[in-house]
Amino acid sequence: MTSNPRGFLFSIIFIGVAAFMMACGGDDSGGGGNDPLNPNGGSGSNPGAGVDADLRLVGGDPITLDPALAGDEGSATYIVELFGGLVTIDRNLQIVPDLAEAMPQVTTNADGTQTYTFKIRRDALFHDGRPVTAEDVRYSLNRTAKLGQTTSATAEAYLGDIVGARDVTRGRADEVSGLKVVDNSTISITIDSPKAYFLAKLTYPTAFVVDKQQVEANPRNWTRKPNGTGPFKMVEWRLNERIILEANNRYHLGAPTVGRVLFLLAGGSVLTQYENDELDVAGISTLDIERVQSTRDPLNAEYKTGPNLSVSYIGFNTKTPPFDDPKVRQAFAMSIDRDQIARVVLKNMAPVANGIMMPGLPGYNAQSKALAFDPARAKQLLAESKYGSATGLGTVTITEIGGGANAGVATQAILEMWRNNLGVEVSIAQTEAASFFDDLDRGRLQMFDIGWIMDYPDPEDIIDLLFHSTSRQNNTGYSNPQVDSLVTQARTEQDQTKRFQLYQQAEQMIIQDAPWIPLFFGRDHYVVKPNVKGYEPLPIVLPRLRYITVE
Amino acid sequence: MDSTFNYLARRLLWVPAILFFVTFVAFALARFGPGDPVRVAAGNFRDPEAFERIREERGLDDPIHIQYYTYMKGVVTRLDFGDTFRYRDFSVNEVLFPAMWRSMQYNTVALAITVGVGIPLGIFAARRQGTWMDPASISSFLVLQSIPALVMVPFALLFFSLKLGILPASGWPRDCNVVVPGLPPGYECIGVISTEAIIPVLALSLPGIAIWGRFTRAFTVDVMKEDYVRTARSKGLSEYQVMKRHVLRNALLPLSTVIAFSLIGLIEGSFFVETLTGVPGAGRLTFESIGGRDYDMIMAVVIIGSTLYLLTSVAIDILYTIIDPRIRIGARNN
Repeated sequence: MTSNPRGFLFSIIFIGVAAFMMACGGDDSGGGGNDPLNPNGGSGSNPGAGVDADLRLVGGDPITLDPALAGDEGSATYIVELFGGLVTIDRNLQIVPDLAEAMPQVTTNADGTQTYTFKIRRDALFHDGRPVTAEDVRYSLNRTAKLGQTTSATAEAYLGDIVGARDVTRGRADEVSGLKVVDNSTISITIDSPKAYFLAKLTYPTAFVVDKQQVEANPRNWTRKPNGTGPFKMVEWRLNERIILEANNRYHLGAPTVGRVLFLLAGGSVLTQYENDELDVAGISTLDIERVQSTRDPLNAEYKTGPNLSVSYIGFNTKTPPFDDPKVRQAFAMSIDRDQIARVVLKNMAPVANGIMMPGLPGYNAQSKALAFDPARAKQLLAESKYGSATGLGTVTITEIGGGANAGVATQAILEMWRNNLGVEVSIAQTEAASFFDDLDRGRLQMFDIGWIMDYPDPEDIIDLLFHSTSRQNNTGYSNPQVDSLVTQARTEQDQTKRFQLYQQAEQMIIQDAPWIPLFFGRDHYVVKPNVKGYEPLPIVLPRLRYITVE
Repeated sequence: MDSTFNYLARRLLWVPAILFFVTFVAFALARFGPGDPVRVAAGNFRDPEAFERIREERGLDDPIHIQYYTYMKGVVTRLDFGDTFRYRDFSVNEVLFPAMWRSMQYNTVALAITVGVGIPLGIFAARRQGTWMDPASISSFLVLQSIPALVMVPFALLFFSLKLGILPASGWPRDCNVVVPGLPPGYECIGVISTEAIIPVLALSLPGIAIWGRFTRAFTVDVMKEDYVRTARSKGLSEYQVMKRHVLRNALLPLSTVIAFSLIGLIEGSFFVETLTGVPGAGRLTFESIGGRDYDMIMAVVIIGSTLYLLTSVAIDILYTIIDPRIRIGARNN
């Protein structure tokens, strides 16, 4: 035998595969010469250039950095730091001006529409130094509406109240008629009726401002180094590896007190990395909570917790047996001892829900009471229902998202309580997310275990959006004309106190009718290195990095 | 040679047919199965009309053969594997190929270790056949094979990172030590050359050593029984010469088949090791794309994997006819 055909073959295959991948994988991922942030071209990232960052966090790749398309929390976490809108939320959940100089002038017009007039701050600049104008705002909102026709799932939900917006998202028009550039720094937005929650919706990324020049020059790749108006600039985004943000020292609401923030996207064991001093903040899961809460563990000194605006619940399909009868739903609700579960199973990580709305949400009712734990009454209600008894219900299944190995710990406890207190044997099905949402949408689930996270701090985002009979988000099929009328009234009620009362009344009805069993309110648990100041658990995604100082 | 040529030509012609079948089945299964990427990407937010608009825009409502044709046309003519719903600002090529490259780096080093330790181990055991060292040597590596990554990795992290502090807890260097200038972005970092890579590479390589040891031992023992080995020894050749010139060469022939098919796995990546240690590789990506119904990404993995598999299979056949004249001539005489 002469040469080594085996070795040759291996090398060929190896080199071939590597070459193949590089040849067709290396797309133009930089901004090119058209990128205002990088006029010399190139992707601007030098992997060997030493990653020194003041603050090291862990995160996931955003689904997208285009504010017009983003609908998930992960993407929003970055977007609120890179971009801005007319208004934003501060850490007390108050709506405050961002690009706008002041809160808008609001006028109700003769035809029942309402107009918000915003004056844009003189010192509001894009990262490349260009001043923000009213035309930029008009362009951005118009662009988002147009994208609602093709690729944006959120455009219509957040901008739909603007006059003419639905015409654009449905393809009937090219311009949103309710947007008017009054002068270079003044824009007016007209909505179809005096909706009290409209400003809250404007704090969400869908209404943020983008740079028209950048977007049109580089439609495919501009999001990799966006020219936004936010407190931070993008230094680099190495897909699946890291994102580095840098302070925008000319930020109009005050320069950030931290210089560089690194987000590690590669994952791994987060708490181990934190303990090994490779990260500055780590989230805590149920697996580690006991350890961190114990005063004997050194991590306890670094532990922080705070409420977040979310609620976990069991939802019923109110349109199909056996949960079409409210007495059955009430029976199920009253046979669970949620306090015990919170104490024993969840180790007090999450507070028991006393209603639908959670503490911290404007409109929260501290006096609200969810259906009490009362097994005797529960059995009575079951007997009074049209099914008469546990056997009359037929097979009952609760479905949740999961991998199939173990039911969620709380769910297991709940199943046990239904068996003991109500005499009903509920079986559990676990499906992965895609099948779960498919089944949920098609109304194939009897009972499901899921949660809801607030998008903006207004009760409309939960009481109206989830329980109005014609709302697209209504996943229980719940239909109560009284609730409908209360929330419809609340949409345009200008008196804040009266408005919240309407929502609270609706909430009580919903609790009684029990299309949901509200379980627990959300809480965030973190450990934070002692030299990092200003990192507080926050109830909702909002711009927070600029308040942090690392010593 | 004629009949071999015909045989090989026929085998090569089957490749596109098999590829078509495999890719079409994968394509159809993904799309007819429950759930779709638009719905999953939206999560708890629900707007069926908006979703329908997006589906239309992406062509997800077209008949299945049109979708298939459009997709495969892009693949075959431009090597464009489509768009992903999970990373909307990038194309499948931009996401998947760098991930495969990263997995390939780790897997190559791991394979080199596995083979580099496993083959000599097997030869060692074969030569000590009959003594206690034969089973003892391989069994000791069986211990490593039986420990799953889910157990090995957390222990390694606890011991080497937290207790001893000599290795980092992340799997991929945040600060790239070895940069190859000139490669496109996403590819230029040779992350496997780093302290971060040590734990993942060990987790990938150690379990396989026992298997390779056993293969090699089996093939070597077979060859050692052959007449020509006895002849070589009786000719007076040293043991080293005998092993090198006769035994090893012939034992490596069947081993080469195993090695060749292992090469296909280089781009796959191990989901467990990657997720536990934090390596941004293809294993994790593939798993997530299945759960997220990221159709184009799934198809890219299927197409690349099956193409490599089929081509390697044909390549091995060609290789065998070149290496072993008996196969060549035998085919003609029959």
